[in-house]
Amino acid sequence: MSDRFFRIVRILIESFPKLLVQCLKITVPLTLLSFFFGLILALILALVQVAEIKGLKQFARFYVWIFRGTPLMLQLFIIFYGLPSFGIYFKGFPAAVIAFSLNLAAYNSEIIRSAIQAVPIGQTEAGYMIGLNYFQVMTRIVLPQAARIAFPPLFSSLIGMTKDTSLASSITVIEMMSVAKRIAAVYYEPFWMYMETGFIYLMICTVLTRLQSDFERKLEWKQPVEVKEAMDRVEADNLAHKFRWKG
Amino acid sequence: MLGVKNLHKSFGSNQVLKGIDFNVDEGEVIAIIGSSGSGKTTLLRCMAFLEQADDGIYTFDDLSKDIRTISRKEIKELRMKMGFVFQSFNLFRNKTALQNVMEGLIVARKMDREQARQISMAMLEKVGMTDRANYYPDQLSGGQQQRVAIARALAASPEVILFDEPTSALDPELTGEVLDVMVKLAEEGTTMVIVTHEMEFARNVADRVIFMENGVVVEEGPAQEILSNPKEEATRRFLRRILRNEEE
Ligand SMILES: Nc1ncnc2c1ncn2[C@@H]1O[C@H](COP(=O)(O)OP(=O)(O)O)[C@@H](O)[C@H]1O
Ligand SMILES: [Mg+2]
Repeated sequence: MSDRFFRIVRILIESFPKLLVQCLKITVPLTLLSFFFGLILALILALVQVAEIKGLKQFARFYVWIFRGTPLMLQLFIIFYGLPSFGIYFKGFPAAVIAFSLNLAAYNSEIIRSAIQAVPIGQTEAGYMIGLNYFQVMTRIVLPQAARIAFPPLFSSLIGMTKDTSLASSITVIEMMSVAKRIAAVYYEPFWMYMETGFIYLMICTVLTRLQSDFERKLEWKQPVEVKEAMDRVEADNLAHKFRWKG
Repeated sequence: MLGVKNLHKSFGSNQVLKGIDFNVDEGEVIAIIGSSGSGKTTLLRCMAFLEQADDGIYTFDDLSKDIRTISRKEIKELRMKMGFVFQSFNLFRNKTALQNVMEGLIVARKMDREQARQISMAMLEKVGMTDRANYYPDQLSGGQQQRVAIARALAASPEVILFDEPTSALDPELTGEVLDVMVKLAEEGTTMVIVTHEMEFARNVADRVIFMENGVVVEEGPAQEILSNPKEEATRRFLRRILRNEEE
């Protein structure tokens, strides 16, 4: 019993740095790159729909239909295993970045489009009435407000992406899951290995969630300077008070 | 100064404006009254090109043109010469009161920041909102928001300001502060077109009152005359109903 226990502890301790290295080397970059490209493409897809640009708007709808309507794993396979039939070869990592970016773009463009449309039309009209043009209204009034609306769902999508990168193991990318599988197979301790891997995913998501609430606070346009300063003072007073009580 | 002739506008098969003739002279204050759905908002929005009219002649100073042939560039120039105050304020939610007022000066008129700031503070002063200059709209009451919106409309010294029921979205106790600002503007000789249900205000401030019903101008004339001795039965009926509501 205690032998088994120590063996498991030893395996977990030895495998932890391996998992963490793979996480930092592959999982995190894969997530960030895919999310970055996916976000740019999503913004373009959303804007051509909102601006009602003929042709491009229909293309964007079609694009979203395709990439939301088929499994991510299938998109991954088509790019990695399918395209070589046409003489287009990608290594595992770039193939994963492409598939994830294209897939994310579809979901994120819907988030961004609905956020833009959630900004009341009166904001746009007021912008026109003070002499702004379409571009100025979009960049100065509508998009900043849409960004705040889109932020929480976009962050959810980023957190989702972090975990979906594990699918890349199916196209030979050695990311964190692949390493976990390998170690689990060697030591025959799948339960504890996968628990440990889950723990690392959870840590990433915890950090991201923390970042989300920090950013959300930054994005608020509610507190005028004086009010904020007054509230900070109150908070400081409260802290000082607590401190005195304990001391 | 600003006018339309034979203005027509339909939404689908719903004919909302059926040949409106309207004109405001420099320095004049016009009140447009009429029951809900009579087309007052649509008239104002057509004059600001927020709705595209189907037919009519549009006049602004020297320009006089078929309203359908006015180009996008002309629309932008015309809008620079007018202010619009919305029923629902429509202050930019991502900008402070001061930034709301400055925005048009800096971005549309390319004024330098310091000059724009001074002018904007003067406008906020005029509406009694300097102490809230750095507040965001969400932190202001409806009456305060509307006063900032008036300051924003004033900032570029427009030739005419269009008001669409500026106090209708406000709690009754907040209408006074907004109406006071408008009285002050009228005294300063600001040209204004005001859609309103505030009859007392219209009587005291408007030079001319226009009564609309079902997309046509039924009656117009000096404020006293229309509000005290209307000739048309429809006008009388409307005023009786409004007075009854006010008493309740
Ligand atoms: N965007 C729109 N689409 C369709 N119908 C509209 C629209 N705006 C106004 N209407 C219709 O036009 C008529 C006049 O509306 P409106 O100009 O708002 O009247 P008022 O301001 O006098 O209350 C109403 O019957 C209204 O339903
Ligand atoms: Mg109306």
